[in-house]
Amino acid sequence: MRHFPLTALKGAILAALTALPALAFDGRTVTDATGREVQVPANPARVLAAGPPASTLLYVLKPEAMVGWVRAPREADLPFLRPEAAALPELGQLTGKGDTLNLEVLLTATPEVIVDYGTVNDTYKDLAVRVQDQSGLPYVLIDGGFAVLPQSIRQMGDVLAVPERAETLAAYAESALAETDALLAGIPEDQRPSVYLARGPEGLETATKGSINAEIIERVGGRNVAEEGTGNLATVSPEQVQAWAPDVIITIDRDFAANVGTMPEWQGIPAVANGRVYLAPAAPFGFIDRPPSVNRLIGLKWLAHKLYPDHAKGDLRADVAGFYDLFYGVTLDEPALSALLGD
Amino acid sequence: MSLRFRRFWVTERSLAPLLLAGLAAALLAGVAIGPFPLSLRQIGAVLGGGGEVQATTVLWNIRLPRVFAAAMVGAALAAAGATYQTAFRNPLVSPDILGVSAGAGFGAVLGILLGLPVLMIQLTGFVTGLATVALVLGLALSLRGGGQVLVMVLCGIAVGALAGAGISLVKLMADPEQQLPAITFWLMGSLAGAKRADVAAALPAIVAGLLPLVLLRWRIGLLALGDDEAKSLGVEATRLRLLIIACATLMTSAAVSMAGVVGWIGLMVPHMARLLTGPRFDRLLPAAALIGAGFMVLVDTAARSIAQMEVPLGILTAVLGAPVFVWLLARGSRGWAE
Amino acid sequence: MTPLLQARGLSVGHRGRAVLSGIDLTLEPGRVLCLLGPNGAGKTTLFRTLLGLLPPVAGEVLLDGRPLDGMPRVRVARALAHVPQALTTPFAFRALDLVLMGASAQLGPLARPGRAETARAVAAMETLGIAGLAGEEITRLSGGQRQMILIARALAQGARTIVMDEPTASLDFANRIRVGQAIRALADRGTAVILSTHDPDQAAALGDHALLVGRGRVLGDGPVRKVMTAERLSALYDIPVLRETLSGGGLHFRG
Repeated sequence: MRHFPLTALKGAILAALTALPALAFDGRTVTDATGREVQVPANPARVLAAGPPASTLLYVLKPEAMVGWVRAPREADLPFLRPEAAALPELGQLTGKGDTLNLEVLLTATPEVIVDYGTVNDTYKDLAVRVQDQSGLPYVLIDGGFAVLPQSIRQMGDVLAVPERAETLAAYAESALAETDALLAGIPEDQRPSVYLARGPEGLETATKGSINAEIIERVGGRNVAEEGTGNLATVSPEQVQAWAPDVIITIDRDFAANVGTMPEWQGIPAVANGRVYLAPAAPFGFIDRPPSVNRLIGLKWLAHKLYPDHAKGDLRADVAGFYDLFYGVTLDEPALSALLGD
Repeated sequence: MSLRFRRFWVTERSLAPLLLAGLAAALLAGVAIGPFPLSLRQIGAVLGGGGEVQATTVLWNIRLPRVFAAAMVGAALAAAGATYQTAFRNPLVSPDILGVSAGAGFGAVLGILLGLPVLMIQLTGFVTGLATVALVLGLALSLRGGGQVLVMVLCGIAVGALAGAGISLVKLMADPEQQLPAITFWLMGSLAGAKRADVAAALPAIVAGLLPLVLLRWRIGLLALGDDEAKSLGVEATRLRLLIIACATLMTSAAVSMAGVVGWIGLMVPHMARLLTGPRFDRLLPAAALIGAGFMVLVDTAARSIAQMEVPLGILTAVLGAPVFVWLLARGSRGWAE
Repeated sequence: MTPLLQARGLSVGHRGRAVLSGIDLTLEPGRVLCLLGPNGAGKTTLFRTLLGLLPPVAGEVLLDGRPLDGMPRVRVARALAHVPQALTTPFAFRALDLVLMGASAQLGPLARPGRAETARAVAAMETLGIAGLAGEEITRLSGGQRQMILIARALAQGARTIVMDEPTASLDFANRIRVGQAIRALADRGTAVILSTHDPDQAAALGDHALLVGRGRVLGDGPVRKVMTAERLSALYDIPVLRETLSGGGLHFRG
């Protein structure tokens, strides 16, 4: 019986929130990746991102509409973000455990629309429908796959009512992908390296072929050695990596990159022996993952230079500076570039 | 068909060579099998001092330390389990009964959450495992009648539950993409990262725990009769039990901090050993240690060889252990009262 | 000569509350002392105190003239053996292994029993006529057989005093005779035995001395023939008891 007042309060708040959009509705209808027709405001000014990939996409398209971050930027990331966006609060993940909606997140943020960007499967379709029903807010899910990156940018731009901005970024994406394909056209199969993606301080966690965390490897023509598995993260032993004998190792862990040369279990692996262990830059967002979102576009160029040093064209540093200026709204000077790229 | 071992407990003389041969076979399998193709000839070449770089690295820096680690962990857990079952007069206890695994687990996953280097994670786990049992003992002994086994076990259950709650809390707070998979995998047990340095660090603790148990194994066996009878036969029961707990905890904490939480070995291997030696502890302990070592080596070899991805040890030991346990229960003569 | 076991002004009980007080007893080599009393009189509590398993509420126990309090368990075990009422271990030990455990007190802390100890264990079992049970699991044996094994273990311990808690309670006629004969043989060899029994006839047959305990105190203490009178036994058990002398000289008691 003691729960009754609390439940009543929550019900009242939900009712109030449901009423809010109805008060200000003057919007359009969009079709999202789940195939639903969702009614969104004409010019959303307060947008909540459901997860880190959506956060990044929202940041590059319409930072002024962000109500907060899913995960607050780290100290090291702040110089690489627009100051206004850097100061936004951390809200946490929208969906809590099980079926419960994290109401505190909604109450703090009072968004007009919720956007999600990532895997489109039954689980996430279900989530979209559920959250929309529970909160009464429009919930738009957009396909986060690498292959449809340009279309997804345009679609999100449409939802956010920033079509020109979206067009600029989508065009960049299309040209980046086209450049990659052109590069690959001139590189025969046998010159494409095998790649091992090393995660964790020991480098024993990896993402298997087909997982969203490693798909950039395939996109740049590399061959992910971790072929078995269900397209997810997995743990392996150093012996397995020895057996795979990858030509290149990409890691996102600073300690691993620094220490691998002295780790006795990793000696003899071609990548280690030839010094082809590369630490992917990660500020403010990772080049190849973390999150698996539009930030990977610059990863395409970076990875191309690492995998095909003899074939890759163009000035990587200039490309990175240009990308950061266009997408993230920050100007990088030479020292900042060097710090970022680890040169 | 029921197998009657009643008059046929293998004599001590024939058992030792049998078990040693079994362990040797397991060790050989562990060294010869693995995802990296190493022929016996290549192994011979590497051992002889030659061999190419990758083969040498795999054998010396990966496989041998890992096989040795598996043997150590298996022996430690089985010995601790056999000792607890005898000293606590209950064939159904495992080394976790006083909360050492939950405590070590809590420390280690906390280390993962805080992003500590791997060595610190293991050290933290080791220390919190010891601290948990110390807490349990302190709590039990401060209660009336605390020297009794039942009170200790109940305190162990209570403190272990707290540590388990701590682990759940850490899992809740962990980053679902970066830390939670590592935490989950650690809690299921794995020797994927076993290195020479790990083995060197854990070996002293395990030897320090195992040696007193082996030396005192006749006296420890008397505890199976109950405190009153043991005392009447000349055993300082309470003191001996505290020593046993200290030794078993040292071994188990070291094993868990190196390999994560691997269940079933401590519970099941002593039963398998008891089938061969009977409940006489002075024979049971060495047998359990040898069987545990060999079993763990085989399980770990499977864990790294049946798929490209590591299969957690805890899953394999449960999948193998549960049916074996049911079979042991079903066959009737168990080495303990019906 | 120093008595093997002595109790002086002993009160026994749990947590400071005495169930039996005012016990003075002296056990000399070759003496068989029978403890007689109704259920709940505190016989087992007295035995546990004499063995050092329970602290006395008052008074003291002396072993070979030295206080039992604080004596290392090994020294106690070399002088004092215990035959408990029942076996409580859940494990299916072989009979011989159980008897062998009796030899522990004679071994060093790290030692394991060897050929000599095994021979002693076998001899103990032979004395009691149970050598044939050596390879059997105790969980498969009857209560009486287990009792015999416990007695054999006490024999194997080689102590000069044996404390037996109702040793013949679950035994059949033949085994009762065998145990009685073994006790007498032990006494003849100089071992002191203190045993509790429910059967006045047996007490009279086996014992030199009798100690009658009931209602929290000692109701009789002295040579069997002098102490076990009909009046005293009637008072002890709270029912009328008659005493008869048999043709062979033995005593018989009936209600």
